[in-house]
This record gives sequence, C-alpha cells and structure tokens, in this order.
Amino acid sequence: MDPELINDCVHCGFCLPTCPTYVLWGEEMDSPRGRIHLMRQHVEGTPLTDEMAGHFDACLGCMACVTACPSGVRYDRLIEQTRAEVEREHVREPGDRALRELVFQLFPYPRRLRAMRLPLRLSAGLRRRIAPRLERINPSLAAMADLAPESAGRPRLPRRVRAIGRRRAVVGMLTGCVQGEFFPQVNAATARVLAMEGCEVVIPPSQGCCGALSLHSGRPEQAGRFARRTVAAFERAGVDTVVVNAAGCGSTMKEYAEILDGEWAERARAIRTVDLAEYLVELGPVARRHPLPLTVAYHDACHLAHAQGVRSQPRALLTAIPGLELREIAESAICCGSAGTYNLFQPEAARELGERKAERVLATGADLLVSANPGCTMQITSAIRRAGTAPIRVAHTAQVLDASLRGTERIA
Amino acid sequence: MALNELVRRVAGVLPAGAVITDPVRLRTYECDGLTHHRVVPGVVVLPESAEQIAAVVRLCNEYGVPFVARGAGTGLSGGALPRTDGVLIVTSKMRRILRVDLENRRAVVEPGVTNLAITEAVREHGYYYAPDPSSQQVCTIGGNVAENSGGAHCLKYGFTVNHVLALEIVTPDGDIVTLDADDPGYDLLGAFVGSEGTLGITTGVTVRLSRTPETVTTLLAAFENIEQGGQAVSAIIGGGIVPAAIEMMDALAIAAAEAAVACGYPAGAGAVLIVELDGPEAEVAHQFAEVERLCRDSGAFELRTAAGPQERAAIWKGRKSAFAAVGRISPAYIVQDGVVPRTALPNVLASIDRLSAEHGIRVANVFHAGDGNLHPLVLFDDAEPGAEERAGLVSGRILDLCIEHGGSITGEHGVGVDKSRYMPKMFTDDDLDTMQLVRCAFDPRGLSNPGKVFPTPRLCGEVPGVRRGVHPLVESGRAEQF
Amino acid sequence: MDAPHNTPRPGADEAPRGPGADEAMGGLSADEALRATGVTIREAGSGDAVAGVMPRWVALPESTEEVAALMRVSAGHDLAVVPVGGGTRLHWGNPPERCDLLVDTCCLNEIPEHASGDLVVRVQAGVTMESLAETLAARGQELALDVPVGGSTVGGVLATAVAGPRRLRYGTARDLLIGITVVLADGTIARSGGKVVKNVAGYDLGKLFTGSYGTLGIITEAVFRLHPITPARRWITAGLPAPRTAATGSEGSGSPVGPGTVEGSGFPVSPRAVSVALAASQAEPSAVELDWLAPSGVLTVSALVEGVAAEGRAAAVRDLLGGTAGESGTTGESGEWPVGSYGVAEGDKAPDWWGVLPGEEVLLELRVPPSGVDGALRAVARRGLPARVRGSLASAVLQVALPPEIGGPELAAFVSGVRGDVGPLGGRLTVLAAPPEQAAPVDRWGPVGALPLMRRVKERFDPDRRMSPGRLAGGI
Repeated sequence: MDPELINDCVHCGFCLPTCPTYVLWGEEMDSPRGRIHLMRQHVEGTPLTDEMAGHFDACLGCMACVTACPSGVRYDRLIEQTRAEVEREHVREPGDRALRELVFQLFPYPRRLRAMRLPLRLSAGLRRRIAPRLERINPSLAAMADLAPESAGRPRLPRRVRAIGRRRAVVGMLTGCVQGEFFPQVNAATARVLAMEGCEVVIPPSQGCCGALSLHSGRPEQAGRFARRTVAAFERAGVDTVVVNAAGCGSTMKEYAEILDGEWAERARAIRTVDLAEYLVELGPVARRHPLPLTVAYHDACHLAHAQGVRSQPRALLTAIPGLELREIAESAICCGSAGTYNLFQPEAARELGERKAERVLATGADLLVSANPGCTMQITSAIRRAGTAPIRVAHTAQVLDASLRGTERIA
Repeated sequence: MALNELVRRVAGVLPAGAVITDPVRLRTYECDGLTHHRVVPGVVVLPESAEQIAAVVRLCNEYGVPFVARGAGTGLSGGALPRTDGVLIVTSKMRRILRVDLENRRAVVEPGVTNLAITEAVREHGYYYAPDPSSQQVCTIGGNVAENSGGAHCLKYGFTVNHVLALEIVTPDGDIVTLDADDPGYDLLGAFVGSEGTLGITTGVTVRLSRTPETVTTLLAAFENIEQGGQAVSAIIGGGIVPAAIEMMDALAIAAAEAAVACGYPAGAGAVLIVELDGPEAEVAHQFAEVERLCRDSGAFELRTAAGPQERAAIWKGRKSAFAAVGRISPAYIVQDGVVPRTALPNVLASIDRLSAEHGIRVANVFHAGDGNLHPLVLFDDAEPGAEERAGLVSGRILDLCIEHGGSITGEHGVGVDKSRYMPKMFTDDDLDTMQLVRCAFDPRGLSNPGKVFPTPRLCGEVPGVRRGVHPLVESGRAEQF
Repeated sequence: MDAPHNTPRPGADEAPRGPGADEAMGGLSADEALRATGVTIREAGSGDAVAGVMPRWVALPESTEEVAALMRVSAGHDLAVVPVGGGTRLHWGNPPERCDLLVDTCCLNEIPEHASGDLVVRVQAGVTMESLAETLAARGQELALDVPVGGSTVGGVLATAVAGPRRLRYGTARDLLIGITVVLADGTIARSGGKVVKNVAGYDLGKLFTGSYGTLGIITEAVFRLHPITPARRWITAGLPAPRTAATGSEGSGSPVGPGTVEGSGFPVSPRAVSVALAASQAEPSAVELDWLAPSGVLTVSALVEGVAAEGRAAAVRDLLGGTAGESGTTGESGEWPVGSYGVAEGDKAPDWWGVLPGEEVLLELRVPPSGVDGALRAVARRGLPARVRGSLASAVLQVALPPEIGGPELAAFVSGVRGDVGPLGGRLTVLAAPPEQAAPVDRWGPVGALPLMRRVKERFDPDRRMSPGRLAGGI
C-alpha cells in the first residue's frame, strides 16, 4: 500500500454515493474513503485485523470511485496492493480459504472450467430444486450454480478470420476464460462484426486467462504469470492491437505495463489493448446497419465504464442501429454485484446488489439487456430469475451489432 | 465509565450492528471533510429512525455524555468532529425520500438523503431542489440544514433556509419536535437551520421544490486579468440583472482545473467568468444579450455560450473540479471560505495578492463573484519546513481582510471547530453571549455538538455580559463547563 | 392623550445626559431614571394604548445606545416594555400583561447605508417602508417585501412578520433580512448576520426576532438584501364564478354542490387548480393573489409578472387564466389545465385591492398547503359569515376579515369551525387582530408544536418577563 497514493485522498467523500457497499450499508468503513482510511491505519502500524480484512474483502473493485474522484486517487492500484497484502498477511477461515483455492484453480483455466461446466450446467428445473439445499450448505456454491448460464452450442473459432471487403486492419482477439466457456457465441459475434467492418481477426489458440481474476483478488504473482503468457501469445500472433470484448479482461490488459516489470513492461506496452466498442467507434462504420426494432437497456459494466472510461461508445454503436431505442438504467454507475469473483466470495452483498440492479433494469421496460461483461449478464439474469419475474433477454453489444450487420433479427 | 454503560444501553435501543465500538472501525469516523482536525469518537451509532435518535439522545442526557451528529462527513469546518467522550450519531442509514408532493411543491425526506437525490427524484416532473452545494451528489440534506448550505446558484435562489418548509428535530434533551415555517411566533426553523448541530439533530426535512426553469443559458467569458472580470461582475449586477450564478476563477485556478480535467478554457486567460442565466425564455434572451455586451465592454477577449446540457457541463466542469484539482498543482492546500461585499472584491483580491507575494505562498482564487464569497486556495508544500505555518498565516489574514471589509468569516462552510477562534473578531462578547442564550434555551446542558461555533466555554446559568470567576454552580459541582 | 411629542413632563428635573448616566441612577425613581438617560420621555396618552393596555411613559430614543440605556433603566425598575413603530399593528396579538414603557422607534429614522453596488441596505428600525422604498428607488432598487399596511416601520414589519403578494417569488421578511441589531431586556446590544448576503457565521438572531412581537427585545436596526426594480410589471386579473353554495348561516351545511361544479370543491372553477397551474407556469408570476367576499361572491384572481419581457409572459398567463373563458370548469383533482373563467383583464396597474389587508379590526390568517386551498375557502364559506378573503393564492397564505361587530362567541365558533375543517388539510388559522373583548373566548394562535421551545427561548432572553409579556402564543 503506497503511502503516496493514500495521501492523494483529501477525504472529500465524493466516492461515497458511487460505492455499492456504501449504497447498501451506509457505513464509512465500507466506502472507498473509509477503506483508504483503513489502509492508512495499516500503513501507520495498525495490524491487519479480521474486521479490517473484512472491509477490504467487501470491496467489489468496481472502480466507480475512481471515476467519481476529483483528486485522481488511484484506488484501483491501492485496492490491488491491499488485496495482495491481505492474502499475504491475513489468515482466513478454513472454509473461506478452500473456496478461494477452488476458484483460483478453476476459473482462470479454460480447460478446467470446461470440465466443471457440466455439473454446473443444471437445467432450470433442477436448479430450482437444488438451490435451497445448496444455499444451506454454502451460499457461495449456491451462487456458483445459480450463475452458470444455460448452455449454448460452442462454435469453434478459427485461428484467423478474414476481413470482409477491403481489409482495414489486422487485430488480435482475446477469447477470455468465462466468456469463452460460458458465452462462446459472444466471441463468434465479435469476430464476425470485426470482419464485417473490415478487420482481419487473429485468434491465437495458445492464449489463456489474462490474469484479471487473480489481479483483482490479491494474487499478483499468478496474475503476472498469466499476463506474461498473454503478451507472449499475441506477440507470436504478430498483432500490435488486441480487441477485447470482456470488460474485466480489457481493463486488466490495459494495466499490464503497470503490473509487469522491466522488459515485460516494455513488451506489454508494445501491444495496444482496446475494447471492442471503443475500437469500432474509432474505426468508423463501413458495414450497413439493418434495422432492429428493439428497446434496449444498456448496462455499464464497471470495468468498462469506470476502469476504462468506455461509456459513450457502446451507446453510440447501439443507437446507430435503425429502429433500436436505447433506454438508460437508473443508478447506472452502481455495480450489479458481479464484480469478477465477488459474487462467489460475498454472495449476500452480491445478491442484494443484483436485485437492486435487476429492479432498475426491469423498470426500463426494455426487451433486451445489453452489457459488455459476461459476469454482469450472469448476475443480472440470475437476480431476475430469483425475483420470479418474466426473464429479460440478454446480449453482448457484439451480438446486437452482429445481428444488425447480418440483417437478422435473431440475436445469436 | 459513563460511556461504557451508555454503550451497553444504546445497543438495547438500536438494531443489531448499529453500534460501532471496534477501534479500527471507529477511527474511520475520526474526521469529516476537513482532515486536520481528528478525534476518534467514543462510540458510533447508526440509527434508522427519529425515535432511535431520540432514544440515544435521551440516554446521552441520562449519562451526561455529549453527542455529535454526522451525515456524509463532507463538511469543511470540522462541524462533525467527534468527541472521544461522546457518541457520534451518523444518519447515513436514514436515506429514504418519504413523500414527493408535487402539487404542494414539496418533498419530505430523511436527513441522510443526499442533496442531489432529491432533485433526481423529481427532475422528470420538471422540478428540482434549488440549493446546490458543490458536494451535492454526496452531502446530505441533514448536513445542509446544519450548515445552511448554499451553492453556486444561491445568488438568485438563496440558501437551505429559504427552501426548508418544516423540520422534524430531536432536541438536545431527546424530544421529537416539529418546527414549521407556518408556525406563528419566533422563526425557530430559521434559527435552527445553520446552527451546526448545536441546537439538536435533524431527523426529517420538508423541502420546497422549485420548477425547473424554462431555459438555462451559460456563458463563459475569458479576460486578461481578474480586474476586468470583476468589472464585468459589477456591470452585470449594476445593470439590474440577477443571474442564477456568477463564478470567477483566476489564472492559477484555471491552470489547476486544466491539469485535472482538461476543461479547455480559453488559452491565456487571466480570469474566466461563468455567468448562468435562467428563467422564462424571453427574459433570459434579453438579459443574455446584455451580459454579453457588458462582458465585452469590460474587456472579455473570448465568449463561449453553452448550447445544451453537455456544453454547459463542460463549462462547469473546470469550476466544479477546481478544489480537488488544486491537488494536482500543489502537494497541499487550504481551502478558505470568506465573504466580502461584492464591491470590495477588487480591493480584497489585490490585498490577497500582496499577502501571497509577501509570504511566498501561492493563492489560487475561485469564487462566487455574485455574492462576494471567496474561496482562496492557499497552496503550500507540506515537505517544506515552515510552509504550512506560513500558509496558515496567509489563510488567517484573508479572513481578517474579510472582517475588515465588513464581510464574514464563512459564507457556506460553517464555523465548526476550525473558525470558532475567529468568532470574537467578527462579533462582540455581547453578540456571542446573546447567541449563547439561544444555545442555552435549546441545550441547557451543552451536550449537542459542544465545542463548535463558539470559542469560549460558557455556562447556561451565567448572566450574559458579566464575566466573573468560577461560577458558583461549577464550584459546587452542580454544573459542568461545556 | 394629546401630549405633544418631545415635550418633557413639566416639573421633571433635568437629568444628567450621556455616558455616566447609569451611575447617577442609584436611588432615582423609575421616572427620574428614565429621564436621566437623556432620551426624550413623555407621559403616555390614551392614543398610546397597546391592545387596550395603557403604558405610563413613552420614550423616543434616537439611537441603539439610547434604547440600551432605556432598557437598563427598565431592568433596574422592573418596567414592562413594549416597542412600537408606526403603531399600525399594535392591536395585533394578545394584549400585553402589563406595559409601563412604550419605546417608540420613530426617531430611529436613518438609513445609514445603502450599498447599491452590493444590493444591500442598512436601515434603522423606525424608518417607514415607504420612505425606505423612496430612498432605494432613487438608485433603481427595492426591498422586495410588500407591506400590506401604510405607515409600517421596518421594525414593525419584522416583529410581526407581515408580507404581501410577492412572497411567492421573493419570500418574506425572514428571507430578505441578512443582519439585525437588537437590544435585549437587560440593555445588551447584540448583532447577528452582517452586510453580506452569504454568511453562515453564528446563529441567525434575525430569524428569531422575526415574528417575535417585541417579546424578546427591541429591534433597532436591520440589513436587507435588495433587488433591482424590475423594468416592467403586468397584472392579469380574472374573475372566477362564485361558488354555488346556498349561503346559509347554518353550520356544516353550506356546501351543496350543483351540477357542473368541481367534484368536492364547491367552486365551478377550482381556485386550487388555477393556483397550481399558475405556480407551475414557466411565465414565472411573482405573485398570484385572490380577493373574495365569502361565502358567495365572485372570486377575483390576479397574477403579477415582472421583468423586461413581462408583456410576453403576461400573454402566457392570460392564456392560462382565460384559456376557456366562459366555459364551465373541467378541471379534475389532478389540477391539470384548462379551467374556465370569466373575463380576463391585463394592465400595468394593480387592482385596487392588491396587497391591501381585507380588513383591520377582526383579521385572521389562514395558511394551508396549496392543495388545500379549495377546502380552506370552503371552510370559510361554510360558516356563512360575510368574510373578505384576500392574499396569496399560490402560497396559500390568506387573510380573512370578519365584520368588526362580530360577537365573541360568533368569532370563537368561526375560528374553531374553520380550524376543524383545515386541520386535516394541514392548515392553520390564527387571529391576527380582534378587540380584546371579542377575542376573549378565542384561542388566537391555535396549536403551536414548537411552543415549549419558544417558551424556553423567551425565558432565556427575558427571564423577568418584561418584554411585551403575554403578546404571543402560550402567554409568551
């Protein structure tokens, strides 16, 4: 925990209303300002108590506070450092420890995840029956089961997708772990959209996890390993721009130069990471947009809106589709509670936030919920499901664009 | 100890988890927005209703323990500074908007509701809550009532006190009382607003809602120097125009804002003026032409007009970020808040310039020019030996200037603990003793936010105006100093 | 009663003047001590009675310090003191329990400072509102406070907290007052606020003294924020059809509603709907006033718009008021436009009743949330008395004048009847003025939630109960 970064905080409190846990509980210790204060206490010699660690763990890492902070406090860096400190120093309860191990040995590894998908992929009916029991045994496991989406066919992605029409660029594409396993159709749509907009898309098969989950959970070593591997994979693929469609992955990759040292930092800097929407707006459209008569509620994924500052681009892309009506979700800056692994480690808070978000999503009366992060989508749909309201269709921005560009109203 | 016993009893009247005693957690409440005063509270409570607050306050009375109310903790005068021997009553869990009554143009809210949340709740119906302190997205209405908060637009629309129709308060002895603007007799509502938590705790607020103006026009005028800007302000006010806001920033403040948010103000400007006009379209159109002309006549070299909400936000962005942005051009700084009569602005600014040069301390000026409310930002490097003291000196001298020119030591941040020592410079002993009578009427035991606003501990039994030795009540142990 | 001002009582000794007068006080009678202050003192005449209570002396101080000297003497001799300005509302409120000394502020008649560049004026308490307005107008400014009684002084206006039509836009005295100087019962001179509009240092004593009826001390000086005089004013005045009530005097039965009337309102055109529409109008009227002779007269509504573009905005108000002139009302509870009304007139002159109290001797004030206006008017009509109702329709602060000859029991019945009706609407009725004998059976103020706190304030400021004792609610 860098005291210099801590000192940047002037205690103005502008972060409070944007912090999901402060919104839930209204307590100083569970606000960014309060957590920075706790960090200061620790730096000044107060030992890391259970209470202190609990407040750090309760942070979703949504980075809404970073957006809100007028003083430019790097809370993102601070909480990463703090989480690492907590992992180093703090002895967790055995059950908590086991769950964390499970998650970190599972989620960042696509192959392991694939193996796990079967047991998690329960039918809706079975899920309903099993949920209460699971809830009693372990709320986190219940959360995991609850979040696993309905399965979809898993189209294989080629190593290289040719540009349609004149080739305007060559870009790499990150497939991501959760995105790739649970939402393969999003990757397919992403590749198609890029191709239709004149990009040759390179998809290195050797790529793995980008390191986001580890980085956001206080495991910098694991994160560093993943980061180096990802950089190497794209270097080998010979691209200097990598398009990412998952918000959490994109924000982490944009940080590579900061989390890696020396030569690796240089190598990371040489590859430009860019969010899909950000990239498409920058590139400008060439493909024709076919009408989609839809009302769409767009959800800002925290790691897109707050960590990457990408807010207007997805909205611009969506509103450029003829016939599509965009509706804003109230409290759009507040996290849905998904936050990477948060819904696994802090299931109660995550659920409350999910319900809050679901309520506001449904209030828009939209036909379709669009978001750029698989975690958010899972989180919000499962909250809607729990509420027992009619489910809302969900899609990634890429899927909506894909449908429009292909001239089909069916969103794949 | 009384406090321990009190904590045990308090837990019995509050929901589970609403009493904080863990030392690590308590410390996060040790200061509000003004960080150079820090006191760890004896205990923090997070009540959820007026009844719970009243119960806590009654217990405080039973044990003779002082209490301090806190909303979001954004105050800039240490008004919510806790007491080690006391209870910090935090209203952050009381944040429901209880009723919106558009026909009667009012809303009833709990004290922990943020200022902006009220506007957000009624905006779609064409209404808003007028006072808009810069911290409006985070500061609570309970805190606004305590501080009588203003904002950039109070030049035309007034302060919290002009927009509160009724208050539900818990008196310092634990009664729940309603103060209503329609009550005959003394305007206790008006006296309570701005009393900085020393007369009791606000538990419910009925606010007036205002109609969203038909049109809003925002103009940014760039001048070569601050004198020209000041001249434009005088010309506008003298011309019979009451803009919704007139804000001015000097070169240093512009540089800071530019560094922080790249606000893109005209290059080379020694001062920028933001003038906002609102109201019926026909009025605004006429006044706008007039303001433009007056700015040009005063030497404005560039004028920009915001066409829509986005452009307006862009113009305001630099101004609104100015305080925190100063952190980017200086390691440390003091935000000062003083008021001078508008016509004294040129004189006072020149004096501040001299002070700045004399002590080698940079001062960035951001101010509500329309009402003479200065916010000098006194910059220093806390690593440099003696710099903080010199900055403190300059900051204090600026307040002296305000008093000398017939102004005030605070326009909106309040007195709190930070400025209580300046009160005797602005008021006579008799003035302060008379104010103390009000305090004693509401809070004879001096338990409600003691040590704030007033410099001298004074006894409620004491005859005002006459200073004696130790009071007989104290001597006999029947009363305590507060 | 005809004792000329400024004439010392024949035979009274010349007392030492100026500083040091206090020391000479020892052993003096109250009369001697008062005169020893050097302030002009005269014997009170019958014209000096305060709501029927005769003082013994009238003092005419010329400065805050002189007021303080008088108060010190009064404290030493246990004299009850009542301040008076223009004397126009001395019959308002309860009669004082006792009154020895009337402090007439007429000689505190200076305007020491009009800082026009700062839109601020500092004025002594005895200056009349008319003369203040004249001074300010010379530099194109005004105190945006309409006072309904001619000859009122600044101090009197503050002490009684009266305001007129433009309260809708500018608020009342408490909203425009930014600084005050007062003298307390023991002679302490205290100031709060200052000469700047934006100021949050210390308690706002000005608020406390607004509406204090002289029970806390004597206001000697005030500082107000000013407004530029608006370049143009337009009044738009419309008649609304009389309520179709059978104007019987019988209690509780006076609101039969004929066909075509607004459901539950009793008025063919709902004043409440008119008020809501005008208050919400982007034409931003500065005032919306009502004049009505209950129970069955035609209602007159008049709105004022001020500003350079007043003419255009007046047209908008006219459209709103007269949109469906002649048709019967169609407004529902939601208050949406249009309502019907009779003819609409517009001009740059106010109607002659504008900003004038509806009566003098028996005067009441009715306040309700704006949504309760119809109910409040109906509550008045239901009593069947010829009551003149006038005041701010949009702010729903209305004055009600009853026939001066009304009997005590009749007045009491009116008051309790209206209170019973408006209470559930969140309204309140106070008796501003009524001769003591008629007001005897009446609770002038009605329930006041903050009364215990007000009492505590009074006890601190005036522990010996010498300042206008008993004038306010609850015997304060």
